[in-house]
Amino acid sequence: MQQIIDSLQQFWQYTGFANCTWANIIMIAIGIAFISVAIVKEWEPLLLVPIGFGMVIGNIPMFPGLNVGIYEDGSVLNILYQGVRQGWYPPLIFLGIGAMTDFSALISQPRLILIGAAAQMGIFGAYLLALAMGFAPNEAGAIGIIGGADGPTAIFLSSKLAPDLMGAIAVSAYSYMALVPVIQKPIMLALTTKKERLIRMPSPRQVSKKEKILFPIVGFLTTAFIVPSGLPLLGMLFFGNLLKECGVTRRLAETARGPLIDVVTTLIGLTVGCSTQADKFLTSNSLKIFGLGLLSFIIATVCGVLFVKFMNLFLKDGKKINPLIGNAGVSAVPDSARVSEVVGRESDPTNHLLMHAMGPNVAGVIGSAVAAGILLSFLG
Amino acid sequence: MQFKKFIIIPLSALFLALPQMKAQNVTDLIISEVAADGDANGIVDDYGNRHGWIELFNNSQGTVNYGGCFLSDDRSQLKKTIIPKSDRRTRLGPRQAVLFHTSGKSSQGTYYTDFTVQPGKTIYLTSNDGRTIIDSLHIPSNLPIGKSVSKMALDEKQMDWQPLEEFTNPTPGTPNGIGSEESNSQKMARQDPYGVILSIVSVTVVFTSLIILWILFSTLFTEKRKKENKKAGRKVSTDTMTEEIAVAIGMAIDEELNGETYAAIGMALHQYLDETIHDQESFVITIRPSDNSSWTDKTLNFRKHPNKK
Repeated sequence: MQQIIDSLQQFWQYTGFANCTWANIIMIAIGIAFISVAIVKEWEPLLLVPIGFGMVIGNIPMFPGLNVGIYEDGSVLNILYQGVRQGWYPPLIFLGIGAMTDFSALISQPRLILIGAAAQMGIFGAYLLALAMGFAPNEAGAIGIIGGADGPTAIFLSSKLAPDLMGAIAVSAYSYMALVPVIQKPIMLALTTKKERLIRMPSPRQVSKKEKILFPIVGFLTTAFIVPSGLPLLGMLFFGNLLKECGVTRRLAETARGPLIDVVTTLIGLTVGCSTQADKFLTSNSLKIFGLGLLSFIIATVCGVLFVKFMNLFLKDGKKINPLIGNAGVSAVPDSARVSEVVGRESDPTNHLLMHAMGPNVAGVIGSAVAAGILLSFLG
Repeated sequence: MQFKKFIIIPLSALFLALPQMKAQNVTDLIISEVAADGDANGIVDDYGNRHGWIELFNNSQGTVNYGGCFLSDDRSQLKKTIIPKSDRRTRLGPRQAVLFHTSGKSSQGTYYTDFTVQPGKTIYLTSNDGRTIIDSLHIPSNLPIGKSVSKMALDEKQMDWQPLEEFTNPTPGTPNGIGSEESNSQKMARQDPYGVILSIVSVTVVFTSLIILWILFSTLFTEKRKKENKKAGRKVSTDTMTEEIAVAIGMAIDEELNGETYAAIGMALHQYLDETIHDQESFVITIRPSDNSSWTDKTLNFRKHPNKK
């Protein structure tokens, strides 16, 4: 009888109940909140459901040494996590993004590229603030990239510059990407006048197939020669786009933008969520990162909108740009472009800005990858 | 013509960059430092003896397996000492160094050579074909005891190694000149504590990259389009949607879809009308035959008797 009691007591020590802490419960609650928001509000469900469930998995209290935790060498989760840790997943996601992105809006109106550059100020604004808050330059760079509003880029850079902060940075980036409509709209309304919001932009011109094929080749060579450290992201992005546009690799393009990106998104979301173990995630640094992430999104949006207003000073009537597409310079594709469309239609239901906003939006993807490359070369 | 411009510019840049590209194999190994025999204060080997030594350094960013390579101090006999191929320790990580004791007896272990290092000699590292010399380092005959001859990376980024003219204090097993190098982040914290310089430089680079793209696409393609329009004898505004453009977009979409949409619709209609496809059914029969069905129940099928009042 005593042996049975001892065995049960021993088993009890292995259960989650015996090892549970308040931190675990808080993290599990956050994970469930992510899942709820994704399902009920449909905010970035493809990301928040895997991340949320990953948070629940990663925070199940357990006896250390069972070789099942994400930070235990050789465990299944640890092997899957290597794609995040070593930075394999983000370039694969960029391959899929390239294969599903139509750069026509950008090619037809090349001036909109500059808005994508201006919105990257959020990255460097957050970098300066993070330094002021006492983070080391490499950590500040990794935090700053949240302002690029690009989850894969944030994971790629933080895995290289500050692996210990990666969980908080990734969750912060994806959370704010889901909140893009909430964050950006009031800023856009505050910074623009009614008259500016009514600006109608000329329709984009037709883009030839040759232009579409040349864009990824020229775009890659230009950006990669300037910032070779951004090679994994830029190379995959433009390669994916070439697969899409060349017209002779339809199967490859469909795989890249379909099953491949779905598999990698599932794994990256789940493992990033798992990496938020309470003991590593619930720190004061994580709170600071969340604060800085929000500020970086705000700075990026402000800079994008104000830059359009600045450009308008030099543009003739009829050529002016609606400043409501300035927010789309952050690379949250296509959410921020959708915000431009929605806010634009609130002022004028017949004024469709989506097509125009896609230009700075995809330029933002390129811009954030370039910015990540620069930070990596200076701080890596 | 425009297409040629596009191709020529990047290819020229690629050609200029070719000399900078390096592979990651045994040719990335260098003899980074050599100390001659006779130093009473030199390092002690596994047998408690003091000898000269040869330091190899992996100059690449990948792991290099040097098993099967040769070390020698004689140009006419490059295969004096073979580094055992079967030893799994013969893998050298990126930017790492390994030490060989020149005891004169390679039978003492993997990291021992069959020759001793004497001033005036040249040490050769040869590839596993026994002919290709990967690197060599000459030991001047006036090398003082207690000093070593070494190579130093003159350019830390490109790792361009050159022999030093002056004799140095021995640093066995430690990468020369880069062992105490601070990280980029530490350097940045020292040089740019507030991050202003990095921010300005980075913003400039981001804008430059995208401005180049803007210029490329706004000039080259606009010129091309204008020429094509001129050639076709028509003047089309580039910024307004015309019926022609709308039709062209429609045709492009149709071409892109390759008629597959219509084919799919046609096939679906054909199969539907020929009843070759059906909705998915559950295969569960829910209507069971019953003798007492309402349809067969005569009492329910008879008319009511006339109501006689």
